[in-house]
Amino acid sequence: MRRRVAVARRPAIIAVLLLFALFGLPALLSLYYIDALTQVAVYSMVAAALGVLAGRVGLISLGQVAVLAVGAWVAARLLFATTQPYPVILVEAGLITMVAGMLIGLPALRLRGLYLALITLMLAGAITVILASLNFPNGGHGFSGYNGALVNIPPIRRPSIASGDPAYYRYSVIIAAIMFLLVLAHIRTRPGRAWAAIRQSEPAALAAGINTTLYKLWALALASFITGVAGGVLAGAVHYLYSIDFPTQNSIILLAVVLMGGVYSLWGAVVAAVLYQFLPALLQNWGVSADWLTILFGIGVLQVLTTAPAGLADQVPKDLAKLGRLLLRLTRRPQPAEPAAAVPTETSGVSGGGGAA
Amino acid sequence: MPAWSDFEPFIVSGLALGGVYALSGVGLVVLYRATGVLYLAFGAVGAMGALIAWSLTQAGTPGWVSWLVCVAFAAAVTLAYGTVFGPALAGRDPLVKAVATIGLTLVLYGAMDLLWTTSGGEARSLTLPTDNSGFSVGQILVNWTQVIALAAGVVITVATGAFLRYTKLGTAMRAMANDRVITATLGVPVRRVEAAAWLGCGVLAGIAGLLLADLVALDATTLTFLVISSLAAVLIARLRSIALAFAAAIAIGLIHDLLTPITSLTNYRDMTPFVLAAIALLVLSRRRVMTQSREEA
Repeated sequence: MRRRVAVARRPAIIAVLLLFALFGLPALLSLYYIDALTQVAVYSMVAAALGVLAGRVGLISLGQVAVLAVGAWVAARLLFATTQPYPVILVEAGLITMVAGMLIGLPALRLRGLYLALITLMLAGAITVILASLNFPNGGHGFSGYNGALVNIPPIRRPSIASGDPAYYRYSVIIAAIMFLLVLAHIRTRPGRAWAAIRQSEPAALAAGINTTLYKLWALALASFITGVAGGVLAGAVHYLYSIDFPTQNSIILLAVVLMGGVYSLWGAVVAAVLYQFLPALLQNWGVSADWLTILFGIGVLQVLTTAPAGLADQVPKDLAKLGRLLLRLTRRPQPAEPAAAVPTETSGVSGGGGAA
Repeated sequence: MPAWSDFEPFIVSGLALGGVYALSGVGLVVLYRATGVLYLAFGAVGAMGALIAWSLTQAGTPGWVSWLVCVAFAAAVTLAYGTVFGPALAGRDPLVKAVATIGLTLVLYGAMDLLWTTSGGEARSLTLPTDNSGFSVGQILVNWTQVIALAAGVVITVATGAFLRYTKLGTAMRAMANDRVITATLGVPVRRVEAAAWLGCGVLAGIAGLLLADLVALDATTLTFLVISSLAAVLIARLRSIALAFAAAIAIGLIHDLLTPITSLTNYRDMTPFVLAAIALLVLSRRRVMTQSREEA
């Protein structure tokens, strides 16, 4: 009963949070933090895409930052080459990245588990080398659009309705929200069920008549599309793109952070993006080295993999609920029925988070 | 197309690089076969060992002591990780085990960046005494570090092969690679054999870290993620054969360095390991059999 009420209330809570993110946060924070939050919006999309692959289908990608770089490259090239409206460019960047991701991914999907993860890492390494040599477009001519002279480099444009930083932040939050809805629409319908079956056991899914290749490719296409769109948003956010901003190891760190945030829920993607982009900005402002964060991420991965497969997004509310029950029990001492009531929720939580990350 | 003489020096450096990749590859394959863990922190422990050795040398410690400390550090960290997290994750998917070592990588990487700050400082370098002396083959100068790197690759591959073939511990490791549960039932002390594999892998990580710090660069980021290149050789060997890993490592090292003088390809030479590994994986996985067993691909 309580659960049903919570489900009914959830869209309202999300709407309030979204409105607060759109109008409350920009009013409260300085430009420095608003820029960091734009990055959070971008990386929450990347994390959601990685969550689809890792959490829903069970395909671990160690090359998502390289896909983001491809999306950013395509978007930047189109933004310099054409005068199309920004949303059109975003869709185009997403679609081109999707095609690229599928072309690379189709042969890779023959592999499973560890081998698939490692081949994505190898492909990410290759893409990084190509981009380092090709350079990001900066208003030059030709296919690469790179002007080696490095004088009078025009910034990558933003949409006319969102040229300022707070406006662009709102713009990116809305794009991220649309992408989250896209993911949700997939999870709730046929592909989501097929993905769940594949994650549990690919041979069983095959035996049940699920076209595993189609649905795996579908997941890859969706993830590449979302990451491509995120790349387009990133291009406008930073104005200037450089290949050194997308090193291969960032894909590894991103996977670690996404696993920490939690791959089984979309909240996990937001948590991961905050960990990955907002905390470093916060620490930098406080004068604390971001290296502490890297260490924390490392410990977080080990902790998540050994004890909490569903990540922080799942674990923290559960721990808070446990803490709440504990406090309740301490304040109302003579209540022997309380611990017994706590047991069923705990066991259901364990079985819910039992899937392999 | 450059003249042949332009390529000659790169044969030597390529073989040296390939030798270190081979050394790393053997360590990774043996650990993977014995414990099921693909040790992605291989580069990070070696890098931290090398940085510690550098600090010790700066403080005036004799060279050989600092090198021993480097190897001992890498071995100790690896063994400690294996002892703590190995059993905890033993029943999980190989992928989970591999990703967990990324956790260790990040901890070490953060600590290295914190303790040996990279920004603003001048480039560190760890030079082995063997750098300055050498001999020449025809026109090519060969220094002893390069010889040691290749020799280490060859010796370690042969020695590990013999160890796995002829010793009791090696036989136990091969048995565990086939089936852990049956091996345990037969009375093999699984934990102890695993610990030996972790220790051996750590020692190799330390040696590889020292050699790479000298041959490539003493830089935390470079060394930590150079393991990705060594992984390519291991992948070509499908995480199985140390002989194949050795051959692949030498090929990767040679092709990488031989592309250097070719102007049109020199920017793309760092792709060598990735491209070779991707092609090898895709070709080798043409005939895929789907099974329910734990043995993957």
